[in-house]
Amino acid sequence: MISVKNIYKNFGPKGEIKVLKGASCEIQKGEQVVIIGPSGGGKSTFLRCMNLLEEPTYGEVWLEDSLLTPPDPYLHFDVIEASRTFGKMQAEHPERAKEDIIREIKEKDLLTSREGKAYKTLLRDIESQYREDINKARSRMGMVFQHFNLFNNLTVIQNLILAPVELKLLSKEEAEARAMSLLERIGLADKRDEYPSKLSGGQKQRVAIVRALVMNPEVILFDEPTSALDPEMVGEVLDLMKDLAKEGMTMVVVTHEMGFAREVADRVLFMADGVIAEEGTPKDIFENPQNPRLQQFLQKVL
Amino acid sequence: MTAWNTFYRQFIELEAYKNFLIGLKNTAIIAVFGLLIGLVVGCLLATCQILPKTNRFIKFLSRVADVYIAVFRGTPMVVQLLLIHFVIFPAAGINIDSVIEAVLIFGLNSGAYVSEIMRGGILSVDIGQTEAGRALGLTYGQTMMKIVLPQAVKNVVPTLGNEFIALLKETSVVSFIAVTDLTKAFKSIGDSTFEYIFPYLMLAATYLILVLLVTGLIKLIERRMRASDKR
Repeated sequence: MISVKNIYKNFGPKGEIKVLKGASCEIQKGEQVVIIGPSGGGKSTFLRCMNLLEEPTYGEVWLEDSLLTPPDPYLHFDVIEASRTFGKMQAEHPERAKEDIIREIKEKDLLTSREGKAYKTLLRDIESQYREDINKARSRMGMVFQHFNLFNNLTVIQNLILAPVELKLLSKEEAEARAMSLLERIGLADKRDEYPSKLSGGQKQRVAIVRALVMNPEVILFDEPTSALDPEMVGEVLDLMKDLAKEGMTMVVVTHEMGFAREVADRVLFMADGVIAEEGTPKDIFENPQNPRLQQFLQKVL
Repeated sequence: MTAWNTFYRQFIELEAYKNFLIGLKNTAIIAVFGLLIGLVVGCLLATCQILPKTNRFIKFLSRVADVYIAVFRGTPMVVQLLLIHFVIFPAAGINIDSVIEAVLIFGLNSGAYVSEIMRGGILSVDIGQTEAGRALGLTYGQTMMKIVLPQAVKNVVPTLGNEFIALLKETSVVSFIAVTDLTKAFKSIGDSTFEYIFPYLMLAATYLILVLLVTGLIKLIERRMRASDKR
């Protein structure tokens, strides 16, 4: 469903703050994946790279067969082979194995902006064949934020129907009907004409989840959905998420709720220092952690 | 009460009030249309500055906007008025009605201030609003128009009101290019009678009443736009 390939993300004017250092993962359809890890380990950045709210510095993000990022030459052997750098290195040491040269180019980041026509043509071919418009791709992926981010200038119902109507995915009537049936399901139908400022945190977050659902997404990304909530409201949001999980919604959840991870996740990714340091079933991760960083982390949070 | 009698005689019996009405009309026209042009110019300038600088053309536009704002904010209104009326327009062979000219110049000047107000307003909207819009698949333009700008405008109404009041009062310098405004109308009453107390008191009172009217209007608009807020 989503594959993230070898993502690097640097921040800062010169890219000196390296947050992601080669993180990869595959999300299968219908799977619930929970990402845990210490603060500053890159969990949120990693999640935000999946729908390109952060643009990865290197690496590729795929949604099914659509490439969302520009193609990364380092991920395509044939592209590296077509580069001038490769040609030069091969000419200097004709005895070296191809794979060896490619590995060196990748490790030392030797590709430059001037790699010749064959190289550029190959990259452009990949791009024209697989690259999808990011807005179209995003409309297939829902996102739920830590701070809800409901549109403050719109009522609940307007929040829910804005995107499907603007993007001409549904007519206004269809969108409203769909939004209302979802609102009824979460018991907030009477709030349809309220502004977000009148809702409690838990209500806001549930409306935000519904806003994603109205789009009928193939996957929903949750970025610490309960971290900004008062403790007594965490339950109602988690319950809704559990319901979605039971219905088979594909979900990627960054959270500090270890209980939720244990109960709901098919797979848990432990992220630390910008890489996926360990991954496995909740049982593996919580009862038999291998990585010392993970052991340390679990000691602190459990 | 001779000063009052003199003023009364000049204003009513010698029909100086006609001049006052013309002045009032011109002041209102210059302030209102000046602000409207200022809003359009300001929004354009703010857009140039706020667009993500993804290509050279946008970078160029943003530089142009910077220079424009620097020039119009960096020189006094009167100087701009004089320079455009006596130097630039004659050199370019442009000859238009002085009131329209004043509207244009005030609009261009106000645009520089409005653009900074709008830019501040847009930046004051939480980045999460933009992210939520983009994450749903809306384009940058759709997110701006439907989500960010409505909130930005609401945030800047008080400041825009301020700008309008400042503009209204600053129109008092248009007599430099021979436009009859409130100030000029009352000044000429004083000049022809050599009694200045009542003309200038009335002048001050007229501006004060206009500003109070505008203040009330702004409050009304603000209250309407605050429907979605708790505050």
